[in-house]
Amino acid sequence: MPSERFVIPIGPQHPALKEPGHFEFSVEGERVTGATVRLGYAHRGIEKACEERNWVQSLYLLERICGICSHIHTTAYCLGVERLAGVEVPPRAQAIRVLIAELERVHSHLLWLGVAAHEAGFDTLFMYSWRDRETVMDVLEGLTGNRVNYSANVLGGVKYDLDEARAETIRKGVDYLEARTYYYLELVVHDPVFVQRTRGIGTVTREQAEWLGLVGPAARASNVARDLRVESPYAAYDLFPVQMVLETAGDLEARVSVRLKELFESYRVIRTILDKLPTGEIKGRMPKKVREGETVSRVEAPRGELFYFIKSNGTDKAERVKVRTPTLCNLAPMMTLAIGHQLADMPMLLAGVDPCFSCNDRSIVVRNAQEAETRWTWEQLRRYGIEVYKCKR
Amino acid sequence: MTALEQAQGLLAAWAQETRTPEAGRLDVVIAPEKLVAATTALFDARWGYLAGITGLDAPKSGQIEVLYHFCAGAYVLTLRIALAREKPSIASICSVIPAASMFERELAEMFGVAVVGTPDPSRLFLPDDWQDGVYPLRKDFAEEASHAE
Repeated sequence: MPSERFVIPIGPQHPALKEPGHFEFSVEGERVTGATVRLGYAHRGIEKACEERNWVQSLYLLERICGICSHIHTTAYCLGVERLAGVEVPPRAQAIRVLIAELERVHSHLLWLGVAAHEAGFDTLFMYSWRDRETVMDVLEGLTGNRVNYSANVLGGVKYDLDEARAETIRKGVDYLEARTYYYLELVVHDPVFVQRTRGIGTVTREQAEWLGLVGPAARASNVARDLRVESPYAAYDLFPVQMVLETAGDLEARVSVRLKELFESYRVIRTILDKLPTGEIKGRMPKKVREGETVSRVEAPRGELFYFIKSNGTDKAERVKVRTPTLCNLAPMMTLAIGHQLADMPMLLAGVDPCFSCNDRSIVVRNAQEAETRWTWEQLRRYGIEVYKCKR
Repeated sequence: MTALEQAQGLLAAWAQETRTPEAGRLDVVIAPEKLVAATTALFDARWGYLAGITGLDAPKSGQIEVLYHFCAGAYVLTLRIALAREKPSIASICSVIPAASMFERELAEMFGVAVVGTPDPSRLFLPDDWQDGVYPLRKDFAEEASHAE
């Protein structure tokens, strides 16, 4: 006899992170029997917009795809466009790119730890990790002047250089964070309440992870050796190699511990770069027009493989910029895995892949409630920007 | 034998044209009706994973090209399929790779490529009130047409 089937909508408001995504879980009692996803609540049409902007303008737009891993998006884009243009990037610039990428990873993983703790009902850990995350945010702000969209990458190199005094501040920050990370690693495997929410939950076997196409820490927690920093070293990862961190259990606990253990690798690489930063220029010359061609640029974002396909038609604008973010790869498998789990495990399961919805949803139309939609033209937006900054000065 | 040579061997039966656009990359042009067979061959050999599907609109040649990117380590294999722009349609590969569902939904709504047999044909990114038959990533997309009255 077919049993009663209920569909429970979760979202679009904060199903896992404080970002919009809509999930529908069909349940039998507490057990999940089916799951679907609907995204787009933060879709801004950035891929299309890149076709109407020149190579430099697109850089700033792409940086705004994600507020957490902004730097890695521009890194993927710059590496691809530079390759198409045949531009040589100075080694010092590449090393600074990696330095910022690793600082960004630290910030992202600590942010995630807080979110995961919050979803598990462990708000003290959430407060702790977000307090500590401020350290790396300050470091990034000191280095680039910005907490989130660092705007460090330019086509041909980077914008910011660093001196010994700055390096010392970064070392101090990293020392503090390393001590804290040891504490967190200890905590997440021993705290009985946290362990109850993570151990043996959402287990993905190695075969499943490979077959379902998981990427990033979610794949590495199931012993799938996927890390582009190691497999296909880009920027300065050949000079400053990282060790891949793998776990075998494949459950949520393994995903927590992969991320925490990766932090130690990030701290080590950050220190090595600071000690052995190549000398020289930080920017090469970049032509306005990029010769015709196509390229694939893949980098390891904090959440896994970030895939860019860039096609140039020989002008100062891109013919096509395709962005495939790691979350898109990781969400589909989670919908498959959700089946058979308890409904109460869903927030943790979703949080386990560290979904980033802004990354996934790449035009926003501003509407006020009663009126017709209000949309700004590029010119209006430009003028508004100028006015705002005039007032600030 | 490198991974790309292996892939080339696997796909030899269907390859209409093979190109190496960059180091570490292989582009294989295949006919639309051969997609599922080619994907199955890659899957059976456990060759990498599907990293994404890219649509390319080329109004001048009257085609929409669909690129299926497979990655294995540092290597990228791309299956390239040209479809007529008039009524583009391609078979779903979800029976082989279920995780392709989201990529196929994106391709369908952004380029108007009918993905035959895809398990969930609903919209993924575009708003609910987005007008049917308007595909934003096509080159002739006009912004004004996007919202239904």
